[in-house]
Amino acid sequence: MNPAVEIQKPSLLKFWGSRVISAIAAIAFCAGIQSLGGPLADNEFLYRIIVLSGLYVTLAVSLNLINGITGQFSIGHAAFYQVGAYTAGYLTVRMFSTQQIGEVPWLILMCLVGAAAAAITGLIVGLPSLRLKGDYLAIVTLGFGEIIRIIAINIDEVGGAYGLSIVPKIQSPWLIWALAILCIAVCRNLLKTAHGLPFLAVREDEVASSAMGVSTTKIKVTAFVIGSSFAGAAGALLAHYEAFITPDMFKMEVSFIVLTMVVIGGTGSITGSTVAALALFLLPEWLRGLKEANGDALVVSAPQLLGATLAIIAYIALARRVRDHYHGKPIQKAGFQFGVAAASLVLFFLFKAVFAQIGGLAGHEGWEINSLRMAIFAAVLIVIMLLRPQGVFGHHEFSWAWLKSLFVKKKQEAS
Amino acid sequence: MLQVNGLNVFYGAIQALNDVTLEVQEGEVVSIIGSNGAGKSTLLRSISGLNRPRTGEIKFLDETIVGVSADKIVDKGISQSPEGRRIFTNMTVRENLQLGAFSRKDNEIESDLEKVMDRFPRVRERLKQSAGTLSGGEQQMLAICRALMSNPKLLLLDEPSMGLAPNLVTEIFSIIKELNDEGTTILLVEQNAHRALEVAHRAYVLETGKVVLSGDGSDLLEDDRVKEYYLGG
Repeated sequence: MNPAVEIQKPSLLKFWGSRVISAIAAIAFCAGIQSLGGPLADNEFLYRIIVLSGLYVTLAVSLNLINGITGQFSIGHAAFYQVGAYTAGYLTVRMFSTQQIGEVPWLILMCLVGAAAAAITGLIVGLPSLRLKGDYLAIVTLGFGEIIRIIAINIDEVGGAYGLSIVPKIQSPWLIWALAILCIAVCRNLLKTAHGLPFLAVREDEVASSAMGVSTTKIKVTAFVIGSSFAGAAGALLAHYEAFITPDMFKMEVSFIVLTMVVIGGTGSITGSTVAALALFLLPEWLRGLKEANGDALVVSAPQLLGATLAIIAYIALARRVRDHYHGKPIQKAGFQFGVAAASLVLFFLFKAVFAQIGGLAGHEGWEINSLRMAIFAAVLIVIMLLRPQGVFGHHEFSWAWLKSLFVKKKQEAS
Repeated sequence: MLQVNGLNVFYGAIQALNDVTLEVQEGEVVSIIGSNGAGKSTLLRSISGLNRPRTGEIKFLDETIVGVSADKIVDKGISQSPEGRRIFTNMTVRENLQLGAFSRKDNEIESDLEKVMDRFPRVRERLKQSAGTLSGGEQQMLAICRALMSNPKLLLLDEPSMGLAPNLVTEIFSIIKELNDEGTTILLVEQNAHRALEVAHRAYVLETGKVVLSGDGSDLLEDDRVKEYYLGG
């Protein structure tokens, strides 16, 4: 038998080893998040965004299953988030007081209910619209997102435009992150096992997949339903964490931000979606809180802003040049890229100094960082898309094997 | 084995196939030749369920398969190597072959993979490679391997010689002959009329969606019209 085609059966230890490590790491992480509440008690805002970033991880990873892995361009993810939030929230308002169930078990139950509601909605929307391709599907999902929001505005039973307040407020930070980890685990296992092949095949070539006997509609709808059910569960958690939901929390821009996370992370890469969701959720919040040394809100002066803009433009041009035209060893290339970044920083100070000489600019009072927050956010997106259009992670994934290989290599180098 | 009766296929208002009738017997190689736009690929796509005919009948093993979805037709035993190969370039060769066996639930898949690899040693060498890194000839062989992995009763090949160097074309056609000798029934669509007629038991000539000639492969090779239009005088 040719060694190349032997069936590769990993040893039991290897198979379970990485799973056990992953499971322990996941439990430890959830426990860590939960217990962070103590030390961060006086910084409620920070704790809150750490917890809520878990919801965005769930949203981004579940959208990645639809957009990245199966290749269907859906931009209505906030709608499923909303369906989950409203269904679970409404049921809690109506029924929680009459039940003899503890708060956390009830919340888990509501997660399942939210997921089911979103899954059914996903099925109803997906069955007809997933026959459409590319732009058409995008338009349908976009429209659907708006329809759901407007329906919620017009139903007084769930608070209409004013919103729905949910009693009791059930905050369970560990559950939010457990859902995110579950979502990552489901997507990862789908991608890495034989079950995932037809999903990837549909992304690559629909005609060829159906010629192979893959029912493309079934695969697409499955991805859509799994993805939307996770968004629904995330919505249920959001509703109980905030204890107040309004249709405005599920605007189109939520869908777009989640889509941006998927694209920036690298379409198809679960690791990418996770990291990008954290980074893009935390970045604006971090900018909001930036302070001067004396405790005042950070103010960006006009020369600084102009200098930074020019330096970024120079950086993009130089970094692209190195990327496309320099063909050395990866380590040298990385060195060059680092040099370009350093040079751009120098340029920033240079430009700033030059602009500061101009009277009108130096006299300008500047802008508070808070008002520039979204502009900086946009600039970061532009820089990433120009320098790495395939997303930060491309198609790559984090794995224990990869981590081990780094470690082992380092050991070898050391000896 | 396969009967096509009075098949009419339209793309919008344009008629791609006009009253096409043909037949494939078990154990045969049947070739369909014709120039660009004659409707050859449309015919294959209709048989494998990728296009829906407006009228007409397609019977496979005495069962009508018009309106059956493409994935169910693969289950029934028809497998297609589509035009332009359409392999999954970002996947490994092995994953491509696994997808070829997607419709199967039996335990023979690994041993069939062995058999197919014995026939295509060049594909075996590349099992772990990404399919996009294969050369054109290897990609065509992979497309055929992938179609074979579903263990088809009838193999549809859409222009297997397209874009290949002459010696590779020779290799592909000798493989087609071997596959047929081992019992696979093949329906072959080709622009390379000479090769296609040589290998075929019977053949049909398609022109603007109509069957204009049919007969034994060797007879058509001698036919004056075929010589003039398809074999270069």
